[in-house]
Amino acid sequence: MKDIVSVDHLRVEFATDSGPVVGVEDVLFTIAPGETVCVVGESGSGKSVTSLSLMRLVEFGGGTIVAGALRFRREDGTELDVAAASPAVMGEVRGNEIGMIFQEPMTALNPVFTIERQLTDGLMLHKGLSQAQASARALELLKSVRVPEPERRLKQYPHELSGGMRQRVVIAMAMACEPKLLIADEPTTALDVTIQAEILALINRLKRENGMAVLFITHDMAVVAQMADRVVVMYRGKTVETGTVDQIFTAPKEDYTRALLAAVPKLGEMKGKPAPERMRLIGDESARAARVAPVARKPQVLLEVKNLTTRFPVKGGILRRTLAQVHAVEDVSFTLNVGETLALVGESGCGKSSCGRSILRLVKPTSGEVWIGGRDIGALSPYDLRKARADMQMVFQDPFASLNPYRRLKDQVAEPIVNFGLANGAALKARVEELFDRVHLPRAFLNRFPHELSGGQRQRVAIARALAVNPKLIVADEAVSALDVSVQAQVLNLMMELQEDLGLSYLFISHDMAVMERIAHQVGVMYLGRIVEIGSRAAVFDNPTHSYTKQLLSAVPIADPTKRRFADDLAFKPIKSPIFPLGHQPAPSVYTEVAPGHFVLKD
Amino acid sequence: MTYVVNRLLSVILTLFLITLVTFAVTNILPGDVAMMIMGTQSNEAALEGLRQSLGLNDPLIVQYGRWIGGLLTGDLGNSLIFKKPIAELLVQKAVASAIIVVMSMTIALALAVPLGVWAAVHRDKWQDTVSSSASLMGVSLPDFFWGIVMILVFARWLVWFPSSGIVEPSEDFLGALRYAFLPSLALGLGLMAHLTRMTRSTMTGILGQEFICVARAKGLTERTVIWRYALGNAIGPVITIAGLQIGYLFGSIIVMESLFGYTGMGWLTYQALLNRDLPLIQATVVVIAAVVMITNLLVDLLYVLIDPRVKLG
Repeated sequence: MKDIVSVDHLRVEFATDSGPVVGVEDVLFTIAPGETVCVVGESGSGKSVTSLSLMRLVEFGGGTIVAGALRFRREDGTELDVAAASPAVMGEVRGNEIGMIFQEPMTALNPVFTIERQLTDGLMLHKGLSQAQASARALELLKSVRVPEPERRLKQYPHELSGGMRQRVVIAMAMACEPKLLIADEPTTALDVTIQAEILALINRLKRENGMAVLFITHDMAVVAQMADRVVVMYRGKTVETGTVDQIFTAPKEDYTRALLAAVPKLGEMKGKPAPERMRLIGDESARAARVAPVARKPQVLLEVKNLTTRFPVKGGILRRTLAQVHAVEDVSFTLNVGETLALVGESGCGKSSCGRSILRLVKPTSGEVWIGGRDIGALSPYDLRKARADMQMVFQDPFASLNPYRRLKDQVAEPIVNFGLANGAALKARVEELFDRVHLPRAFLNRFPHELSGGQRQRVAIARALAVNPKLIVADEAVSALDVSVQAQVLNLMMELQEDLGLSYLFISHDMAVMERIAHQVGVMYLGRIVEIGSRAAVFDNPTHSYTKQLLSAVPIADPTKRRFADDLAFKPIKSPIFPLGHQPAPSVYTEVAPGHFVLKD
Repeated sequence: MTYVVNRLLSVILTLFLITLVTFAVTNILPGDVAMMIMGTQSNEAALEGLRQSLGLNDPLIVQYGRWIGGLLTGDLGNSLIFKKPIAELLVQKAVASAIIVVMSMTIALALAVPLGVWAAVHRDKWQDTVSSSASLMGVSLPDFFWGIVMILVFARWLVWFPSSGIVEPSEDFLGALRYAFLPSLALGLGLMAHLTRMTRSTMTGILGQEFICVARAKGLTERTVIWRYALGNAIGPVITIAGLQIGYLFGSIIVMESLFGYTGMGWLTYQALLNRDLPLIQATVVVIAAVVMITNLLVDLLYVLIDPRVKLG
């Protein structure tokens, strides 16, 4: 069979004020009919530029294909030189012979048009259908992507649909004209893990039923392992390695591929290991040597949370009265020992972030107690609470947003020290330098501004800032989620190193089960504001007992192509709404101790 | 529905406050209404008699109550200078000015939206510079200058439109439009600048969004992508700005109507101010405030039609 796509030494440049910048250079791969090719790479590797070039959409972003060939075999068997095709021909190909789906389902649909209009306009354009025929086909499409109540959805607007539902609509749109090639650019990155599993399964089924080829762009090696027939690894605008998925995962030839794979945690690989382990990093032998030792000393409780409940009002009406309440955190209790990590995992909206913020009193809990180092945080006066904040610091998800773009890094790290009056003058300078050393940032960075640093470096600054006041507890809210996998591994290793050296306790809030399996001592699974299961890492991961924990773990893609799990349609129970009418008194959380220290919520 | 009731209540409350302020200010102003009516030469006894009959000696609260009662029943009293019922005057002049307001806003939008879209599509290219220079010129030159230019070009040289005067729309509707055109065009050029900038900036934001990329990936033509997908999303804020400019327009028409000898609300306000016709000033202020607020309410309601995410409730 002849390839339907061949990309040969592609080079794309972007015009900027300071001359052309290379987006990709020397990209080469092919796609055979009916095959899934995954293009994988970290941010800036040029994987999206490649996929946009194939549709010639790259020119709308200021890019130009300056060299190389992009060939697409059209439906009539002729070969189209995509780089040289006229806009009219590209108009025929786009949406008709090549469909495309995008990362962000929240913004991929036009908010002011109905679902029906957005599904039918392509059909009427490409297939010459009448409005009625197109509407009938749109209904069929919604059924094929398993959108519940398809008739009603057609008349709805995008904002009335959930994220997962919208991504199904986007896929239906891309599939409308039965393209031979589907380009999926990070289609599940913005989705929760169960929704991701459903969407991956859906793409697999549609591919099988329609015999179409899929070009799948992702940064996630676990998704690659689950989806790919063949893999293209990209790095800095170049293809580094291509091969079948088994070759790439079992016998990678290039160092970069090996490093990339090493940094990826595989769910289940920690089975039977007593303590957390550092992330694997090739070339960083210290990581291998310094395995995190089990906590030898007698466990000592640092943080104790008792019956914590946080509700947010939903206001409305003429007088802006409270009409209902979001039960963000509902009767949550746990303890965290000195020098240990507790992972709070769950999907978006489960209340894990609200829980972290309530503990730090960044939001005021409705009820419950939080004890840190033997003090009841809730009972402190505003003055004492301010002083107590030195003990508890936070690292946020987005290192781009959590640093002030107008201040030098040294001033940002010094700020909390000055705030708490811990040091000044030469001592302050020495302390900031020491903190930079501590997080392995060169001292040359002291005078820089945030925009001069990469994402990983910025997150190191954020960590240094949190460490500045010698806290006992650090709440890390998705602190590594925005980072590339190799950078993520480095930052996690740094955090584990700091934990060993300084005896820090981490409350790690994350959606990433595979990472949490590696680094956590204790794991709490949250669902609808409650902890549904909590216990040691081994207990929760090796013996998941609550139905939600099981569902969650079964949805996690495993970075191992021999363990594929998304062949057939999946339909997980959608998460219920946490909004309840005023005066609703939920039952307290009651747990069964299934094993010593392993608690499961009674339903 | 609650939203509409809510907004109406707030409009009524604001109007009430405006009547209070207007009444207070016009009463604090120096000047005696009785003397204005009878002239400075009249004797004190006659003046006092008139004050008594006009109720000017009553406590302020009583006078205010009488005025509000009149407003509500459509009886605004008589204009001191025109010697006619104010209500009658206002209706006639308001229709004339409504033509100018609607026409100038239509002209402004008809020019600004395409210009702004053009600039956004060709962002940071020469088209963008041309568009922003054009709109900057529109806003930096005062309205009356445009008025003079219009008179020169269209009335003096080309002789396409009359330079001054007014025609009753009930007598000759097309004629009325002809007379209103030049002042509207001059006002429209001034309004255009903000609208162009708003269109450009919202369009630029929308064009960078993913659903635009999705629309292109569907193979839709650029025309559909820009004029339907993008503009459909970008037009809301532009309409809001246009609504707010209605208030600004009522200030501008004072100059423009006087310049073109167009006897509408603006001209009427000017005459009232010039001659200290207090009852007429009070009435025009309240009417203009009401019109501006109702327009903005209508704009907000219009939003519901433009953007399905906005719910009234």
